[in-house]
Amino acid sequence: MRRILSTVRDGRGFDIVLVGVPFAFLFALAGLPLIYNILMSFQEVDMFSLGSFIRPFVGIDNYVALFRQPETWPILTNTLIFVVGSIAGQFVIGFGLALFFWTNFPGASWLRGLFLVSWVMPGLVVGAIWNWILSGDFGVLNFFLRESGLIEGNIFWRSDPIFSLWAVVIANIWLGTSFNMILLSVGLSAIPGDLYEAAEMDGANGWQRFWTITLPMMRSTIGAIIALGLIFTLQQFDLFAAITDGGPNNSSNVAQYWAWDLSFRQYDFGRGATISVIMTVFVMFAAAVYVRSTRHEVRG
Amino acid sequence: MTQQIELSGVNKYYGAYHALRDINLSIPKGAFVALVGPSGCGKSTLLRSLAGLETISSGDLVIAGERMNDMPPRKRDLAMVFQSYALYPHMTVEQNLTYSLRIKGVKKAEAKKAAEEVAAITGLSDLLHRYPRELSGGQRQRVAMSRAIIRHPKAFLFDEPLSNLDAALRVHMRKEIRALHDRLGATSVYVTHDQVEAMTMADHVVIMRAGVIEQQGRPLDLYDRPANRFVAGFIGSPAMNFIPARTSDDGTSLILDLPGAPVLAMDLDLPPGHAVSVGIRPEHLSLATADMPGFNVPVAAIESTGAATFVTTETTPEIVLVLNGRSTVSAGETIHLTFEPKNIHVFDAGSDQRIEVGTVLTQAKTAS
Amino acid sequence: MSETARNRLMLAIALIMAAIYLFPLYWMYVTSLKSGSEMFANPPSFWPSSAQWQTFAFVWESRNMGRYLWNSTVIAFGSVALIAVLGTGCAYVLARYRNVWVDVGLFLILMLQVLPASLMVTPIFVGFTQVGLLDYPRLAVILAIAAKSMPFFVVLVRATFMAVPMELEEAALVDGNSRVGAFFNIVLPLARNGILVSAILIFMQAFGEFVYSKSMIQDVSLQPASVGLNSFMGPNTSEWNNIMAYATMYVTPILAIFVLLQRRIVSGLTSGALK
Repeated sequence: MRRILSTVRDGRGFDIVLVGVPFAFLFALAGLPLIYNILMSFQEVDMFSLGSFIRPFVGIDNYVALFRQPETWPILTNTLIFVVGSIAGQFVIGFGLALFFWTNFPGASWLRGLFLVSWVMPGLVVGAIWNWILSGDFGVLNFFLRESGLIEGNIFWRSDPIFSLWAVVIANIWLGTSFNMILLSVGLSAIPGDLYEAAEMDGANGWQRFWTITLPMMRSTIGAIIALGLIFTLQQFDLFAAITDGGPNNSSNVAQYWAWDLSFRQYDFGRGATISVIMTVFVMFAAAVYVRSTRHEVRG
Repeated sequence: MTQQIELSGVNKYYGAYHALRDINLSIPKGAFVALVGPSGCGKSTLLRSLAGLETISSGDLVIAGERMNDMPPRKRDLAMVFQSYALYPHMTVEQNLTYSLRIKGVKKAEAKKAAEEVAAITGLSDLLHRYPRELSGGQRQRVAMSRAIIRHPKAFLFDEPLSNLDAALRVHMRKEIRALHDRLGATSVYVTHDQVEAMTMADHVVIMRAGVIEQQGRPLDLYDRPANRFVAGFIGSPAMNFIPARTSDDGTSLILDLPGAPVLAMDLDLPPGHAVSVGIRPEHLSLATADMPGFNVPVAAIESTGAATFVTTETTPEIVLVLNGRSTVSAGETIHLTFEPKNIHVFDAGSDQRIEVGTVLTQAKTAS
Repeated sequence: MSETARNRLMLAIALIMAAIYLFPLYWMYVTSLKSGSEMFANPPSFWPSSAQWQTFAFVWESRNMGRYLWNSTVIAFGSVALIAVLGTGCAYVLARYRNVWVDVGLFLILMLQVLPASLMVTPIFVGFTQVGLLDYPRLAVILAIAAKSMPFFVVLVRATFMAVPMELEEAALVDGNSRVGAFFNIVLPLARNGILVSAILIFMQAFGEFVYSKSMIQDVSLQPASVGLNSFMGPNTSEWNNIMAYATMYVTPILAIFVLLQRRIVSGLTSGALK
């Protein structure tokens, strides 16, 4: 006993306690649920069997049934559109802003930081604001679009099946752009200035310097940011809850929202778990890409 | 004399990497010992093992008569001065100095008095209420030293404490640390990669390479009688010249593998044709007039510091010599070199170990 | 063009871009001050003709916002406390060593960081139901948030610990301190700012958390403000000025904290997120 106490005070025991408790906690509250999720995806779980551990085992029925459902493929397509659209928008606008603020005028870093308010706000509030901005008859976005002559009649962003998904994409781009910009700014400022001086001496113009120095030097940053974007986009839930609720008629539904909807609105926990398992595999894949592209930094 | 620190058969592994190999070292009370060697030689690992920041894998580590192998650092009563000084940035100088006392539970007033006394010795009296970031490099160094002194530890451990200072300050602090050591009657272990520091400061120099102690002894003994080629090349600046040679067929002389070089007749206990390496320090070579015995070499380059002139010859291997003051020698010229036979060192070409030779005579005749 | 003129021009463009980007926020504040009829005016007014300050008091009373915000605060503080206590030590160990085990631990942490709450909520809900944790719904949400956000906290705080030189801790050990003492005396004080900033980030996240609260807290009197906002926004609502007043009262404290600590939060975030 004294020996254990003394290693906790002076030796390795201290480290083991510090790291062991949180990992045990994480295992109980993230590891076990992950495993349990897989188990449930092979069971029939509804309101009645919720409380019991022994439930009918149904094999891969949940998976088969899921892919037979007519809405499955449209929802997966929506998920893809949502992910690609959001990441593309966030990245392009974020990179543009980062390049602009990189010119480093007085006040640049403070103003740049201010953009991040979009990222620290609760997702539900962002959703509520955009819900109002995107409103059909009285939305201010439609007003701007009409005034600038881009559209003639109002777009019913939230209730028109053609636009409903894009309504959430727009809100999500707004929410994530600032985060992209901040991280890209960090990557940009890490490029040594003398590289540009050397390239200038070698006769490269601004455009050539961007393509031959900035982009190649930013490769690992860009990889990490795109992977992070994928992770954050697949986590996005609040905006759907606040803007379209997945509707109308699933036209703006995505997998992560659907999984929750199946479990908590239709009380089909088994099927909710099935979607979760499928999506978790995707997210893990994205995470592996992210870890890979930052691996050298992890090892530091 | 009592031994303050004793290491016997100490080994240290990091996984499969053998960082310290069978280290045996005795440090008497009051000695100033320098551990010196190229980077990665294990000198810092050895020091950190003394401090308890690393655990040794086998062997015995005894400090003041007590076996300390598994003692945590706090129970070893040693003080350490780090290369980066490791001053606590969130504490004033006084708090830095008294930190160890406060942990021991020394009364506040007493600790304050101790800090003032030490500060008076090291000239920090006016800086006690400053934070480390407000101090110059030299002042930080003094704080680090004072923090060690205040504890009256069993031994002081120095981990390259001067390497962050500029050249002039470094020379000054060298003397100051040594003076402080003598004044406190302390036991000190000093790690450095700078052989000049080791030679000038220490009573006892330990030269390490690849986890092994290559040689230890008094500084000038190491200079005069290096135990192997590594030590010979490591001690002294510019480094010793090595010229390949072999024993003559009759086994009574060495033939240098350098055109025009003299044959060295000596008492040898080697088979004929044995390959050796002959070392001669740059400061032991001198210019001679043409009528004196010596050998001719062409000059490749001249560097002068004003006080001394360094001449590099255009031979294979190249030879460096140091001349006092200035010289009229210029590149491309041929010079006539000579040396005192007693100043040569002979090393086995295979094992690199020193070979003791008897009286050496230079033969005027060149080898054929 | 002179340096100053160029700087002024850039600043002007930057201000315009910031104004465009932050327009939704402005629109929230403006709408919250409009009257019911002004809200639906065409063309919309960009400055309220007569600010309706009483809307805030009305919404605060009628939606019972005090209770919602109290619940949000309880959940956020609970989560941050749990995360800080468990995560700080974990981050310290992962920063201090460099070996295979640390790499594995980091990999697991990064993997857990990415799991979407909306996917994890199904097994957590079912599991919590079975062990009876749903009888304490706020605690259940705190535990779920802690598991979700701790990895992020660990990644951020680890970067802070990496910036504390190891020699300082070693010096403390040689000076006679134990590992525990050196950690609390030397390492923690020096990492304090980074830990604080990360805790604030986590607090802001937890303060706006929605998925777990929505799924696990059935009792209205225990729900946080995010769930309250969600139930306020029915499908065909027209009370946008009231909703925006609700949103204003909900986010303004968060925004105030952010603007005050902006520099530190941004640097804390950027040092950790890519590492």
